[in-house]
Amino acid sequence: MEHLKSLPLSQNAYLCNTAYDELIEPGGQPRPAAKPLFDYLARLRPDDLEARREAANAAIMTMGITFTVYSDGANIDRAWPFDIIPRVMSRTEWMRIDIGLKQRLVALNLFINDLYNEQRIVKDKVFPLEVLAGSRNFRPQCRGITPRFGVWAHICGTDLVRDRDGTVYVLEDNLRVPSGVSYMLENRHVMKRLFPEVFNTCSILPVDDYPARLFDTLAALSPRDWERPVVAVLTPGIFNSAYFEHSYLAQQMGAYLVEGSDLVVGEDDCVYLKTVSGLTRVDVIYRRIDDDFLDPEAFRPDSALGVPGLMRAWRAGKVGIANAPGAGVADDKVVYTFVPRIIKYYLDEDPIIPNVPSYLCMEDDQRDYVLANLDKLVVKPANESGGYGMLMGPRASSEERGKFAELIRANPRNYMAQPTLDISTAPTLVGHELAPRHLDLRPFVLQSKIQYATTGGLTRVAMVEGSLVVNSSQGGGSKDTWIVDPGEA
Amino acid sequence: MLSRVAENLYWMTRYLERAENTARLINGTSQVVLDLPRGASFHWDTLISVVGLDRQFHELYKDADEDSVMRFLILDERNPSSIVSCIRHARENTRTFREVLPAESWERINALHLFLQRHAPRTTHGRLPRYEVLNEVIERRQSIIGLLMGSMSLDIAYQFIKLGRNIERADMSTRIVDVNSAVLLPREGSTEAEVERLWMGTLSALSAYQMYRRHVSVHVRGRQVLEFVLKDPLFPRTVHHSLNEMESCLIALPNHEKPLLAVRDARERLLRIHFDTIKLGDLHQSLDGVEADLGAIHEAVSKQYFHLYQDTPSQLQAAEQE
Repeated sequence: MEHLKSLPLSQNAYLCNTAYDELIEPGGQPRPAAKPLFDYLARLRPDDLEARREAANAAIMTMGITFTVYSDGANIDRAWPFDIIPRVMSRTEWMRIDIGLKQRLVALNLFINDLYNEQRIVKDKVFPLEVLAGSRNFRPQCRGITPRFGVWAHICGTDLVRDRDGTVYVLEDNLRVPSGVSYMLENRHVMKRLFPEVFNTCSILPVDDYPARLFDTLAALSPRDWERPVVAVLTPGIFNSAYFEHSYLAQQMGAYLVEGSDLVVGEDDCVYLKTVSGLTRVDVIYRRIDDDFLDPEAFRPDSALGVPGLMRAWRAGKVGIANAPGAGVADDKVVYTFVPRIIKYYLDEDPIIPNVPSYLCMEDDQRDYVLANLDKLVVKPANESGGYGMLMGPRASSEERGKFAELIRANPRNYMAQPTLDISTAPTLVGHELAPRHLDLRPFVLQSKIQYATTGGLTRVAMVEGSLVVNSSQGGGSKDTWIVDPGEA
Repeated sequence: MLSRVAENLYWMTRYLERAENTARLINGTSQVVLDLPRGASFHWDTLISVVGLDRQFHELYKDADEDSVMRFLILDERNPSSIVSCIRHARENTRTFREVLPAESWERINALHLFLQRHAPRTTHGRLPRYEVLNEVIERRQSIIGLLMGSMSLDIAYQFIKLGRNIERADMSTRIVDVNSAVLLPREGSTEAEVERLWMGTLSALSAYQMYRRHVSVHVRGRQVLEFVLKDPLFPRTVHHSLNEMESCLIALPNHEKPLLAVRDARERLLRIHFDTIKLGDLHQSLDGVEADLGAIHEAVSKQYFHLYQDTPSQLQAAEQE
């Protein structure tokens, strides 16, 4: 580890690390893409890292980069936990992932549009009718609709993980209201503020065009053909865990940030904003509330967050909604297992980024395997997000496993299982040392008239030693994600 | 501009202005108290009357001594108008419209909130730390105003900010002179020098002492102070000036007929009062009239801009066609 000698790298932790490390090769050398970073870090004085961490935390407090934890009672926001050591990936590798992400979203959108229209994929027996019938996120209210460009999921957050052998897998597709992109942008902002020098040492691709691309993606959905359509971000309000992001994106796009009560649907089926100068028509709504709460006339009648008549306006083509109501049908852990077949069916291509091998509990032989191997598997319910309602087999007590076995037998359609991956790590500043911590990557992919994927994405890291849970709602942190061109270093 | 956002902007500014005014009130008063003759006692509860919270104060505190009054006005989060509460409200409000303000203003308001969370308790450690902390509140608030003036388009959002600032300012100025004249005017002639000092305190609390001396007189006489604080058109904290500012905001806003009328009526009534010759018995009533007029302006603004569409959609259609 000659090269890394001057760094406070936890040698013990690294000797025991069996996972793939994103920055350090098994021999202890930095990976080529990470070399300029390590050269830079090696030049810092010993206590510099901690000083920068302090400065980063102070900046995060001042910038008010927060997220909300429901159980905190009066304390509605917490500072965003951030690790100052970036996660680095080479541009060559990223290019392949970029294409794979876009391939996946094209196929998923064809799939959703098919489900709400002809259902060819069901008729052709590629996708089982019983899975469709059991889907909680299939909205009969959307049957017969083809939104503009045939696209339902305009914004997709795809979670990627890397296994021990270096293979990158898709862990899940978030097609309902994926969040995290604002943290990706703010992480970079904080890094530039604190480590301006390092940005000169290698070619780190910028990430800050996302808000403009998001605006273009949304604007393309406008029913009125004019240059600057009125776009509104619809938020459940200040108590939502992602409120910071809603407000941030509205600010970055120059869009309105609205709550349901700010909107009204007129008798002409158009959606209006209540403004100080009267009613103003809205062209496109980037909604950050779930289908269930979107429109009390169409979905849950008790929703106070939504806008009565919004579905009517959307069906009449008077307003664009992203993601389209009903897009969540493809955001389901059971549907996930079919994605490779979905890609093959619609595009006649093989998936560029593979799925994690998965077992469907609805199929008898696979269920028997799952039930017999619960101690080796992660079991996930079809429709939860944020890491809730999962069984981490190897860590669970036999009592918990028994409880889950019953849940699976009672409702097999609702569960799928995957082997526990040894997901990759990256050096993370823990106390005075850099120790390996597990992480994932959530890039964001846009699709309407054209497609776009973020350069990298949001890296989430499990701050607790050995932990695989990266969700910020459960104590995860994050890192800036660098896509670098080693050739230009 | 969304009605909800306009209302939040308006209140955010009122809270910020209230915090700054309270800080000025305390610092100005504390300076004057030092000049009182030895043995003369100062009634700190006068400050509670200024902010109009006598009942709330006495429910929470036994004695109106300096320490209790300061805790109540600066720190006590049970008092929605305490400096710490105001800044907290302003910060929470700011969250709901970060997209309409320059990004840096959120950072500064948030930093002011964090500063107070950390340093507000020092205001109970004596007059010097209290002065320092409050002075920093004033400075930071001023830097926020400066930031907005220097980096924000004079758009609708800006007008609601300016409107909130001026209505709160006019309200505070009226309250300060109302309470002080009730206490001081009857004593005029008896202990000339002491009363003059206390009127200086009134001016200091409004940061108006220097400009008063420059533009009115080197002597501080009660009725002249009233005439200045209420009717001078040029000093930025007088009621007259604030009304002129509100007028210019409203002219820049759409559908302004009703609130504009309320502002002009208030100004017309104000300018008809001659404070330099008014009978003591009529003064309080006149000042109540000014406060009521300011209340009417707030009502007119709320009704026109914030709550116009709190109706059902069908009523709303009708309202739109009017």
